[in-house]
Amino acid sequence: MAARLDLADRISEIASRRGTLFDYLNDILDQAIRAESLGLTLNEVLDDRWLIKTARDAGFTFVPEKIVNDLIENAYEKLGKRKMTSLWYETGQWYGRYYEDLGRLEASVRRFFWDVSEFKMSREDGNISLICLSSKFSETHTELFSKFLEGAFDALGYGLAESDVSKGIISLRFVKSKGE
Amino acid sequence: MSEGGSRERKLIRAPGELVSKLNEAAHREGKTLYSYVSEVFEQAVRAYEMKRSLKEIIDGYEVLEVHREAGTVFTPRDVMDYLVGKVSNENDETLERLWYQTGRWYGIYLRERFDDSVEALVRLLREGRWDLNDVTLNRNKETLEFRCVSPFLSQERTLLTQKFMEGAMNSLGYKTQNHESFKGIIRIKFSP
Repeated sequence: MAARLDLADRISEIASRRGTLFDYLNDILDQAIRAESLGLTLNEVLDDRWLIKTARDAGFTFVPEKIVNDLIENAYEKLGKRKMTSLWYETGQWYGRYYEDLGRLEASVRRFFWDVSEFKMSREDGNISLICLSSKFSETHTELFSKFLEGAFDALGYGLAESDVSKGIISLRFVKSKGE
Repeated sequence: MSEGGSRERKLIRAPGELVSKLNEAAHREGKTLYSYVSEVFEQAVRAYEMKRSLKEIIDGYEVLEVHREAGTVFTPRDVMDYLVGKVSNENDETLERLWYQTGRWYGIYLRERFDDSVEALVRLLREGRWDLNDVTLNRNKETLEFRCVSPFLSQERTLLTQKFMEGAMNSLGYKTQNHESFKGIIRIKFSP
């Protein structure tokens, strides 16, 4: 079996730290077959690993969807609209500052918010139109997520110009803030 | 070693059966065996640079799939802690019940999907998706004892994670013998 020389040498070097080259090769080739049996390439599996690491670094944690929804509804009732929307807005601002860039923010929404089925951003003359759809969001969750997005865009220098939010549908338009 | 194309190649010995399987996999992806193997090596090096073996990474992927199937979502940790702190009430065990029931669902799912469902649960907890830094399981004939540690978990979330674990283990057929949880530390003992 032939492989690229530089890679084969690198593999030999790694194997020498772990045991025999033969065992190491068997192991990695076995894992390639295993990934293939899951309908994936190793590249996809490793990209996914990266996703988890970046999610953790950005302060996300995994929570069952039902629990998140229950918590949101319950807290909204207890704390009230103003407190909850401001919590989401501020969290959005934090993420806007964290990602520092529209493209990175957009990528993170697509990557991390699995319950968002569609997230489209279009730019025109410095303005940004955004459509976000989720069949899983309740009315409250939709409202809060729109506030999250507003906060994130605010931190990136965009002010809200238009907003149309209803259960599972968020349509927002932002304009570049003056002085930005 | 032989020359071929624009890059130098090296010949490698591998078991015939494995090479046949790789050949089939390469064929299914419309690649030559050479390019397929090179890609596999690239990913093995990438995994090594992540300080993980490919096996660990694929194990982790399988666990992530459990989360996806379960409808788990990423949520900002601070928001989660804040909401749990505000909603939790000593007299109301709704949240605890919810986490316990979620744990039960996971337990059933793990039992159906993995041969060693307890080990799969350990992986699920350990892989970091629940903010647990250290998860150990001591198994002996009579008991299974979990110990989890995390500097990130609030008191409330520690208790909820404990409830989740109990739900999962109970649905796997293990009874809770005793448990204790302090902020960020969970110890639970189960018996078959």
